[in-house]
Amino acid sequence: MRDVAVVSFAQSPCQAANRRDDMADILLPVIREAVYAAGIGRDDVDFVVSGSHDFYEGRTFSYIESLDAVGAWPPISESHVESDAAWALAEAWSWLQLGEGDIALVYGIGRGSLPADLDQVVPAQLDPYFLAPLAPHRDAIAGLQAHAAIEAGLTSEQGMAEVVVRCLDAATGNPLAQRSGQVDVAQLLDAPYVSSPLREHDVAPIGDAAAVVVLAADDAARRLAERPAWVRGLDHRMDTHYPGVRDLTTSPSTRRAIGRAAELAGFTTSDVDIAELHTEYSHQEAILTNALELNGAVVNPSGGPLAGRPVTATGLIRIGEAARQIRDGNADRALAHATSGQALQQNLVCLLEGDG
Amino acid sequence: MTEPITTMPSPFRMDYTYVAGTGRSVFLRGLAERKLMARRCAGCEQVYLPPPEFCSRCLRELEPPFELDGRGVVSTFCVVSFPFPGQRIDPPYVVAYIQPHGAGTRLMHLVREVEPEDVHIGMAVEPVWVSDDELDTSLLSIRHFRPVHNGGADA
Repeated sequence: MRDVAVVSFAQSPCQAANRRDDMADILLPVIREAVYAAGIGRDDVDFVVSGSHDFYEGRTFSYIESLDAVGAWPPISESHVESDAAWALAEAWSWLQLGEGDIALVYGIGRGSLPADLDQVVPAQLDPYFLAPLAPHRDAIAGLQAHAAIEAGLTSEQGMAEVVVRCLDAATGNPLAQRSGQVDVAQLLDAPYVSSPLREHDVAPIGDAAAVVVLAADDAARRLAERPAWVRGLDHRMDTHYPGVRDLTTSPSTRRAIGRAAELAGFTTSDVDIAELHTEYSHQEAILTNALELNGAVVNPSGGPLAGRPVTATGLIRIGEAARQIRDGNADRALAHATSGQALQQNLVCLLEGDG
Repeated sequence: MTEPITTMPSPFRMDYTYVAGTGRSVFLRGLAERKLMARRCAGCEQVYLPPPEFCSRCLRELEPPFELDGRGVVSTFCVVSFPFPGQRIDPPYVVAYIQPHGAGTRLMHLVREVEPEDVHIGMAVEPVWVSDDELDTSLLSIRHFRPVHNGGADA
């Protein structure tokens, strides 16, 4: 295995709706910032890979527009995943492991504000025969999962509100967060249900942002960063597509992914100082904490997705934030998690470490 | 044996907000005023029409927009002879890449008011705009391009 590290991370502010910038314009300043921070020029980048989803853009091959911000001339080595950009980082990591190059630029663009009504779009991601015709509300399946999680004793409406309070408080230190502030549990529990037992605050606020991570291998990583955040272990797994055959209160794919990532890394979740979890809903923190066997780590010090969820950039931001904690010397070991699909269907786990 | 289900209606309707961006908005607003607004890159001298906000080669912001008259030459073309769903015009008709004078990029549009067999690469053409009440922030504000018969020499 080669040593591969996050050497740079940048993101644009999470906005409920960015009506000024097209896909390239939202990305260009973020690429500039990340590349500048790494002290490289774009000619030094060997591979570019991105993640986004046409469901949110409303047209096919939408990500092509973003390539204008990469400088795809002369022609570059490039790839894209139709998913959260954390999976693009997994592709870049594999590409670097294969020895194809030394520096990879990973970006995610999420523009959840473009669909006029997510209730029209979310059902299209579901099984077309049994689920899509029912046109469930965007948060309906999450509501089923939350209710099951409460019934299983994993959390409670009070516990979910406590997660939100902690995340929004942490987000007051994150100038790029979409939502932050000091709120109290009683105040949150006064709000009406969106999809019971979920209230508005339990649902990560969807919006627009771009994020960029620069990965580098071996000597390049040591050259580009004072304290690289080494990706020691990375794995992603998926559960079956049809929620009806899953036990929604557990996440076997997360459990399996952390098992494999820990095997690669030589350390596991009990050793990490912080964990950035891709919680699209507050109740999912309890499910993920169980699956990952988190014990004592600070969860979502950035505020996490409950403070801003720019759809397909959200998971990549978790990795960037976890790496930032290592690069800033606040953590020696960190975990980042990303998810895709309904009710934690697909999960990615990344274990990071700073030099001792 | 149960007869297999072979079709299942699955109607979807999805509405989206289109964010044109600042660069593209300049071009689209111009079209509603019968103007073709281009922008130049100070780094590589490329003139974009339509212009984005920045040069995709140099990644620098483009210079302020300026107007081109839309006259240019056919850079390449094909004759569409085949009918297809959603077609707006009866085939055969000419689809061309137009190289407007002063622009470094090409615009795709129709070439009409000429027999398809008389179109050639290098032919001088000019835009034919729609009437005032049809003008919009759309390339359809140009109805088509047509040959220039006086004053426009072939390239």
